[in-house]
Amino acid sequence: MASYGMVIDLNRCYGCYACMLACKVANHTPPNVFWSRVLKGESGTFPNVVRQSLPVLCFHCEDPGCVKVCPTQATYIGDDGVVVIDKDKCVGCKYCLMGCPYGARYTVPEWKSYFPEGLPLSELEEFQKKAWEEKSGCGVATKCDFCTSRREEGKEPSCVVACPANARIFGDLDDPDSEVSIRIKTDKGFVLKPEQGTKPKVYYTPPR
Amino acid sequence: MDSKLFGLAQTEWRWLIAIYLFLAGAGGGAHITGVAADFMGWTTVATIGICLGWPCVLIGCLCLLADLGTVQNAWRVARKPDTSWIARGTIIISIFMIVAFIHTILWAWPGTMAGGDATARHVVGVIGAVFAFGTMVYTGLLLGDAIPMPFWSTALLPILFFFSAASTGVMAVILAGVFAGVEESTLLTLARADIVLIVVEALVLAAYLHGSYRHPNTRMSAEHVLSGPAATMFWMGVVICGLLIPLVIDALGIHGTGAAIASILGLIGGLCLRYVVLAGGAMYPMSAAGTDFRPVRRPKDPMPAMGKLPPS
Repeated sequence: MASYGMVIDLNRCYGCYACMLACKVANHTPPNVFWSRVLKGESGTFPNVVRQSLPVLCFHCEDPGCVKVCPTQATYIGDDGVVVIDKDKCVGCKYCLMGCPYGARYTVPEWKSYFPEGLPLSELEEFQKKAWEEKSGCGVATKCDFCTSRREEGKEPSCVVACPANARIFGDLDDPDSEVSIRIKTDKGFVLKPEQGTKPKVYYTPPR
Repeated sequence: MDSKLFGLAQTEWRWLIAIYLFLAGAGGGAHITGVAADFMGWTTVATIGICLGWPCVLIGCLCLLADLGTVQNAWRVARKPDTSWIARGTIIISIFMIVAFIHTILWAWPGTMAGGDATARHVVGVIGAVFAFGTMVYTGLLLGDAIPMPFWSTALLPILFFFSAASTGVMAVILAGVFAGVEESTLLTLARADIVLIVVEALVLAAYLHGSYRHPNTRMSAEHVLSGPAATMFWMGVVICGLLIPLVIDALGIHGTGAAIASILGLIGGLCLRYVVLAGGAMYPMSAAGTDFRPVRRPKDPMPAMGKLPPS
């Protein structure tokens, strides 16, 4: 079966946060939950300073720190290489949040609106609350699932489609002819925190 | 959080988990003290230790259950003992509580620790002590398995937690012993044993923090504990209450109320130790293409009025 992964071109990414917002819209994540987010960093000394953006998400690792520590087998690697959470098995111990070196996992004890408390929920918020509780749930661990429902319809994850710079490429790492595999080889793709031994499947290609 | 660990420190495991780690350790320590006392023929101390151990651990487990997001699934937590320390710990703690409960209702509670055939009691005692030891040590191993937290993944942590658990267990027994009217000489012997445990614990703690301070990935965590937001709890709670005062009281041979107060402070210190270790748990920042990506504190809400409801 496939082994889905991603390549993010750091030369193209200019930190517009479109991927982060597209993910929020598509998955109805409540406040402070960022299945996909963009970090910013600076390096160098004046006048040669570089400001770099780094989009991060769940890397769907091959040897994940989260799966290893989960006591109930709620989180596991699916057949297609996508790490998923079975919310009916999750007990909400948050050990997996400690086990992920990339901060990709979140838990929502209670759904909250983006608007001040006490205001009646709008129709959209009612829909989002229901959608969140059905798909991901409160009191359990949640994270990016490479937009499973979109993939079932033959589409790519929201963050990939939303990127205006085409910096994100999604595909099957097991297929040597897929664009992901080719780009990782030709552009010298690297992963984050390789010393942790998690073998992430989201690669980055360096800015030139 | 006014700390360099902003955005990197874990924020999910706080007081409930600290109380659980503390009670699991102290309960195990009290139980082992009771079993050792049983072998020495100190029947009152043995009864106290056995009767204190598993209730402490049980209360700790209730705190743990209270921290879970979805308690209904709690029965599943023993499902992955091959890789998960929570699963292994659940099994270890459950066996400990069962064995300790059996020990209690067969011998400690009916008050028959003194007489009768000692063999069965000693066997059950040793089995309970083995699982009590597992309970005291596994909490450190559990934290160590969270690979992204270098502050936790050191062999010194389970060792530190073991000596803290042993020391707080002895102090809990001393505290109960003062009220139960145990002879002064026995309590003083326990206090002298506690001196050794406190000294070793202090040395391990110093080695642990020193090692954390020296390594670049853990330096910020060590600073958070030694001089950052957790410093007050560390120096006042862990060092003064948990180590210094009990050590001085034990060394001077003070008994009675003084020993009781020292024990209470020592127990508080043990709890504070678990809390500061949890507070220091942090990932190191991600880096790519020669740049470090450290989370930035968001500026204060520029329009605080937005957060308030209109007057009704």
